[in-house]
Amino acid sequence: MPVYNFKTMAPVPSASDLVDIVLTRTQRKTPTVVHPGYKITRIRNFYMRKIKFTQQTISERLTAMLSDFPRLSDIHPFYSDLCNTLYDRDHYKLALGQINTARQLVDAVARDMIRMVKYGDSLYRCKCLKRAALGRMCTILKRQRASLSYLEEVRKHMSRLPALDPNTRTLLLCGLPNVGKSSFMNKITRANVDVQPYAFTTKSLFVGHTDYRYLRWQVIDTPGILDHPLEQRNTIEMQAITALAHLTCSVLYFMDVSEQCGFSIEQQCNLFRSISPLFANKQLVVVINKIDAQPYDTLESDKRDMIERLVKEGGPNTTMLQMSNVSEVGVSSVKNHACDKLLASRVDSRVSMKKTDSVMNRLQVFYPTARDGVVREAYVPESVLRERERAAAEGGEGKKTRKSRIGYAPTKDDDDDDDEGDETPAESGDEMMVGNGGGGAGDGGRRKKTARELMWENGGPGVWAPDYREQYDLLDPEWRFDAIPQILDGKNIADYFDPDIEEKLRMLEEEEDRLQAEYEAADMERTDGHDTRLDEMETAQVAEIRERVKIARAYKDRSGGRNRPALPREIRGRIKDCHDDDAKLKADAIERRLARVGVDASSMLERGRKREREGPREKRRQSRNARGDAEMEDASSGDYDEDGGVSMKVEGDERSKSKGAIKRQRKERVESARREQSMARSHSRPREPSQIGLKDESMAKVARMVEKKGQRKWFGGSGEGDHTKSVHLVKWCNTGKKRNGTHYSR
Amino acid sequence: MPQHEHMERHRKLHGRRFDAEERERKREARLSHKRSEFAQKVHGLRAKLYNQKRFKEKATMRKTIAMHNERSNKHANDEAVADGAVPAYLLDREGVSRAKVLSNTVKQKRKEKAGKWEVPIPKVKPVADDEMFKVMRTGSKKNKAWKRVVTKCTFVGDNFTRKAPKYERFIRPTGLRMKRANVTHPELKTSFQLDILGVKKNPSSSLYTNLGVLTKGTIIEVNVSDLGLVTTSGKVAWGKMAQVTNNPELDGCVNAVLLV
Repeated sequence: MPVYNFKTMAPVPSASDLVDIVLTRTQRKTPTVVHPGYKITRIRNFYMRKIKFTQQTISERLTAMLSDFPRLSDIHPFYSDLCNTLYDRDHYKLALGQINTARQLVDAVARDMIRMVKYGDSLYRCKCLKRAALGRMCTILKRQRASLSYLEEVRKHMSRLPALDPNTRTLLLCGLPNVGKSSFMNKITRANVDVQPYAFTTKSLFVGHTDYRYLRWQVIDTPGILDHPLEQRNTIEMQAITALAHLTCSVLYFMDVSEQCGFSIEQQCNLFRSISPLFANKQLVVVINKIDAQPYDTLESDKRDMIERLVKEGGPNTTMLQMSNVSEVGVSSVKNHACDKLLASRVDSRVSMKKTDSVMNRLQVFYPTARDGVVREAYVPESVLRERERAAAEGGEGKKTRKSRIGYAPTKDDDDDDDEGDETPAESGDEMMVGNGGGGAGDGGRRKKTARELMWENGGPGVWAPDYREQYDLLDPEWRFDAIPQILDGKNIADYFDPDIEEKLRMLEEEEDRLQAEYEAADMERTDGHDTRLDEMETAQVAEIRERVKIARAYKDRSGGRNRPALPREIRGRIKDCHDDDAKLKADAIERRLARVGVDASSMLERGRKREREGPREKRRQSRNARGDAEMEDASSGDYDEDGGVSMKVEGDERSKSKGAIKRQRKERVESARREQSMARSHSRPREPSQIGLKDESMAKVARMVEKKGQRKWFGGSGEGDHTKSVHLVKWCNTGKKRNGTHYSR
Repeated sequence: MPQHEHMERHRKLHGRRFDAEERERKREARLSHKRSEFAQKVHGLRAKLYNQKRFKEKATMRKTIAMHNERSNKHANDEAVADGAVPAYLLDREGVSRAKVLSNTVKQKRKEKAGKWEVPIPKVKPVADDEMFKVMRTGSKKNKAWKRVVTKCTFVGDNFTRKAPKYERFIRPTGLRMKRANVTHPELKTSFQLDILGVKKNPSSSLYTNLGVLTKGTIIEVNVSDLGLVTTSGKVAWGKMAQVTNNPELDGCVNAVLLV
């Protein structure tokens, strides 16, 4: 069953807004750049896409609108009639129909114009057609201005209709204006309907909810109805009539016997008669209201007769009740009676329906026949019976409940019943058992009171709380209410709450000792292999070094420090090692300093000195590269020695030279070979003779000469294969129209 | 539980803030300044649209003001009787307002000035053949170029059947064929969508007339039987001339003015 909630309908934009929405969307969501130089198919597609997109957007929006608004034939007849009353069915249908037509027209326009664009032979023509197409679609939308604004009004009103469920249990209040319908509504629900002492305060249907028998009941307050023909009724009254006509509910017809509403009882009876066809098949309660002002008993007899005759005319489903909203006499009885009647009728109708048969057929009720004459009663234990008897005997005395001694709220007569505390807990404890055992025995008077009930009897929460000491399980129950001291004989009793606490403590200590021993044993084993521990002096040194490092680091991080790069250590060593009097640090100073932080500086200084000797920068770089794989050199020296025999011989000769010189020479050679190779890899350049298959340097020399000779012919003039670009402005690259296409494409 | 007019309900329950009226008045007073600020700031298309809107608003405002003002112009006034004694031959003259007379004479003159055979669009730009026709290359090698495709909108009669491809020199694409025209009756100042009966004259070329090409200035015959126009002899006219006033190939529709 659909829930009638019209709040989800999306707002309907006005016609001009809709045009804006559609056009901006087209502008945002479709490509915007097109040039006359593009291929014509591309231009056509560009504009066709725009037209198509606009049409789709419009049709999407209009379709959403059409599907949002309910079709009056599809919804519950109550709602469809209500809509007819409020919005005029014809107008509503016409508006939706026009929207639908507009959608179709837009589709047709788009179809036609796209067909025309397909024959477009220039950008201008395509653009004109697009413009015409969008214009025509927007004109169609603009023509819908009236329908759209009407639908928006309808939507706003519908979304504010009360969420009224036509199929649920409903009480419907009706009657002439000012007879107290809304007051009654306010009495039984929380709807907070406006009540004023003038007619037609309630101008539309109001919904409230009330509870009865754990069910939710919908109460509908209707505007007052005047007694005149249906054609003359206005919109306000028609809403009440609609509700009366279409809802299956319990109708409460309100009558004002005091005639304060301005209508005589006769007029009220006449209205009842004129709308009585609407009461058919409904549970009807005639409510005699305002009996505080005019009691029904003291009403003039002819008026009373009139009302009673009316009730009789109403048929078997009609009852009469008296009520007053001011004195609240009979309010709840009216509500209960109406609810009961409706509930009964609903159950009846359910049962009488075919649906229930399938369930009923499956139900069978058996009444077992007695096997023999033996009476088998429920077993009640002896103690329980005794307890019941005792309680019955004591029952007359009026039991006095104990005040709580614990909890958060001591009362002023807290300690006056201390002495009688000993017996009552025991009694109540036993009673609890009785309550549990014989709960269903039907002795309602002897049911055990719950702690909650006791609490309310004794002053409510905060005043009384149950005493949990009653439930203590001790050796002697008499001990239960004894005060427990915190300190006893100078000792905190909390420390002695456990009888074997000594034993537990001992075990814990033992375990700790055991663990300690284990850990130490493991530690010994670990350190046995190699002793990493430092002796005292070393420790002191380490500490000092760390201290210095820390200081140095702090200096470095200090803001406002020197604003120049800290030299890397190797360069620093080299420069400072020179025979420069201005140098702050000499070699020995460096050595000393590094020694202080625990670094051996000798190799570093040696390196620096070597650099200084080597001089030019290039050489230095070479040597650095070589140093990078000094270790590799030994292993793979064979690769670089082209002619192993020669090199061996050279090496033999070199023995006579100084050791450093030999080293240097060898390094240089290796370095040059490596450099050669790396260069060969990085550029495309003629390879060395060894690599192109020439035998040796002499042959290479010859080859070079031949090459030069061959080139001599055309040296100086540019050849065919020369890839030169001497002219800066190439004509074919730079003339002609620039707009069409790009440089690259031509 | 808000039902129905929740704004009103809230106001009824809680009232409005104390300075609500003052704020409203100020907002109203500020409105003109805001508008002016926006009007000075805005440029481009938005400015154009905004100015159009404002112009319309102002025009309606002026009109309403004028409507509520006391009328000062003169009107036909039947009751006005000349003061004093009037000779018999002047007795049945009505007091005619001067403004009315003036406007009538102006209109009359204008009508007379207009020539009898003048059409609404007397001059049109001639359409060249290469603009009108696109060459369609045919043959299996696409080396023959004797076929032409009409690139403008055309009118093609109902009973037209295409010739065999071999003899079909001019192709009129179905997508560009028009059947109906939006015809404006210049005196009634209303437009009707009418069926086209035929193309009478295309001013650019007689070839175009034969092909039924619809360009600006083309004289077409439209079916006016729905309008119920009557000829001078009393017969119901069903075909009438109209002149095309737009470029149908650019607008996607044919607009025309009825020649009466």
